[in-house]
Amino acid sequence: MAIVQPKSIKYRIAITHVIMWLFILSIMFPLFMVIMISFRHGNFVTAVGGDDSLIRLFFPSMENLSLEHWKLALGMSYDFTDESGVVHTVNPPFPVLRWLWNSIYISLITSTFIVLLSTTSAYAFARLNFAGKNFILNCMLIFQMFPAVLALVAIFALFDNIGHYIPFLGLDSHGGLILSYMGGIALHVWTIKGYFETIDASLEEAAAIDGATPWQAFYKVLLPLSVPILAVVFILSFIGTITEVSVASILLTDNEKLTLAVGSQQYLASQNKLWGDFAAAAVMSGLPITIVFLLAQRWLVGGLTAGGVKG
Amino acid sequence: MARVILRNVLKNYKKGVLKDTLRNINLDIQDGEFIVFVGPSGCGKSTLLRMVAGLEDITEGDLEINDVRMNDVPPVDRGVGMVFQSYALYPHLNVRQNMEFGLKLKKFKKDVIDKRVNDAAAKLGLEVLMDRKPKALSGGQRQRVAIGRSIVQQPNVFLFDEPLSNLDAALRVKMRIEIAKLHKELNSTIIYVTHDQVEAMTLADRIVVLSPLKDNAESNLEQFGSPLELYHNPKNKFVAGFIGSPKMNFLKGQLVEIGEGKCKVKLNTGDVITACVDASKAAIGDKVELGIRPEHLVSVQHSHATSRLSGTVQVAEHLGAESYVYMDVDGEDFTVKTTAEIPVEPGDQLEVGIPAEACYLFDQNEQAFPRTTKYVRN
Repeated sequence: MAIVQPKSIKYRIAITHVIMWLFILSIMFPLFMVIMISFRHGNFVTAVGGDDSLIRLFFPSMENLSLEHWKLALGMSYDFTDESGVVHTVNPPFPVLRWLWNSIYISLITSTFIVLLSTTSAYAFARLNFAGKNFILNCMLIFQMFPAVLALVAIFALFDNIGHYIPFLGLDSHGGLILSYMGGIALHVWTIKGYFETIDASLEEAAAIDGATPWQAFYKVLLPLSVPILAVVFILSFIGTITEVSVASILLTDNEKLTLAVGSQQYLASQNKLWGDFAAAAVMSGLPITIVFLLAQRWLVGGLTAGGVKG
Repeated sequence: MARVILRNVLKNYKKGVLKDTLRNINLDIQDGEFIVFVGPSGCGKSTLLRMVAGLEDITEGDLEINDVRMNDVPPVDRGVGMVFQSYALYPHLNVRQNMEFGLKLKKFKKDVIDKRVNDAAAKLGLEVLMDRKPKALSGGQRQRVAIGRSIVQQPNVFLFDEPLSNLDAALRVKMRIEIAKLHKELNSTIIYVTHDQVEAMTLADRIVVLSPLKDNAESNLEQFGSPLELYHNPKNKFVAGFIGSPKMNFLKGQLVEIGEGKCKVKLNTGDVITACVDASKAAIGDKVELGIRPEHLVSVQHSHATSRLSGTVQVAEHLGAESYVYMDVDGEDFTVKTTAEIPVEPGDQLEVGIPAEACYLFDQNEQAFPRTTKYVRN
């Protein structure tokens, strides 16, 4: 350690660790609980079978463990025997895998378009001078502060109308949903703009003198240096899209076209809350996010611009 | 190989809102000349360079390179190469790729690119560094890569924007010499911006001195001439004060006698100083300012000491080879540079001799009177 510290630092570090662990546990608790529910027999949130001790909540006994919810989520039926010895076959009530696929491809396309759009517009905001630049930037940020829920009616009416002219962008279409998500780039534009502004403009001037057009300077010099922030924006927009419920639930109606976030709520009908099945679907919806994050992590590297300029 | 002409160039970033940055800049830069733009910060020297490069537009006036008007020509077609203060190397590319970048954009053949890059690398001693990224290079190496990147383009005019200001003192001297050598080798026109007048004096064939533009001034181009011309015959007080280190001393006074190529000035201290200056255009009693360079002051016993002046020593710096004595003369700072070790302490009175041949004289508008001799200290 470079700085001389008082002796009490040991205890302070220990206390910090304890607090940190408590913090992590409190974050992990719901996730862990959902995972356990998905592997437990029956559709209950709490433990069943007369064994409702706290420890059984997380570590159910062997006879309570079951893959029934996962079978349903993965589109397989399962058999169960009731008290009278009759065997029932339970068929998957919802096309969960279909929903998952819908979620993934909608999110991938949306994130890709969001990265493309917000990068180019951030470049314009960071580097070009045009009238009303700051006004537009601030407006974008302020409008983004209102939750999308407030505009649901407007969004519905808008896409209803669009659908009359361009069917694949209308209501109950994935195209329409993607289009509506692409309206939410303001925050990303701000993020990327902030990053672009940390890159010395003389790099692009050097490129211009080397004979690069503004477009070449953008994608040959600026973009390669911006990979970390593009990865961040991609991950953020992917997470935002895959977990989005309100707009998707308004725009999509066909059961086959739902996203997982919207569809899985059908497990929670007010009379019949299928917590176990819901938990399995919920855990599954976390998988694509995890995979995208792990893939994108390799791009989340710092120091790309090091050494280019010294100012 | 290029001749660069600037005619009545004016720069205003936002006409009607902001004041002019540059006004009435007229320069005729000959082929192969090493030109240095020098001036304090805010004088527009970098702006002027960037206007030549095409990174800033020219509000009014003309820029010609090789008799072609370049005002509306994009940077790449002007035949200029530029070295930035911040180096502006592409951080994601290695040295070779950095140098190739422009040539590849221009779709040169592979063997041409390789030959040019290798030649430039050899010239700059970069061969062993070709596969390194900029972050693995030292400041001096980065600077050389930046120079190499502009050399391979074989530009007509090289533009250097304060290239050495990020280097430490020792490296700065080394790179300065390398740039001077490079100019001899390439024999091309170089325009070089610096605020360091030592760089300007040592490198330049001719120096352009710029000052921050005053509201009513006709131009902020103060003087355009060879280094020694600026040193010996500055046109005005600004150039006189800017060129030379330590700065020239200025003392206020009035003319008491005007003779043939000589005049006498009575300072506010009461001392009367003889100056070899042609003040025939002025009248006796005119307020003037006397300028005397710290290095031209002599001891009172010296044969050239035609006048003398005394002040209170404030600080004395002994550098071994030379000494600087900072004095207070009638409330004005006054610096003496001498090669001898003067045994003085702060608070002492020091009397120095002023050779008449070493004096500069400025009128109330800060314009210089013509000097009648050139003083060389012996």
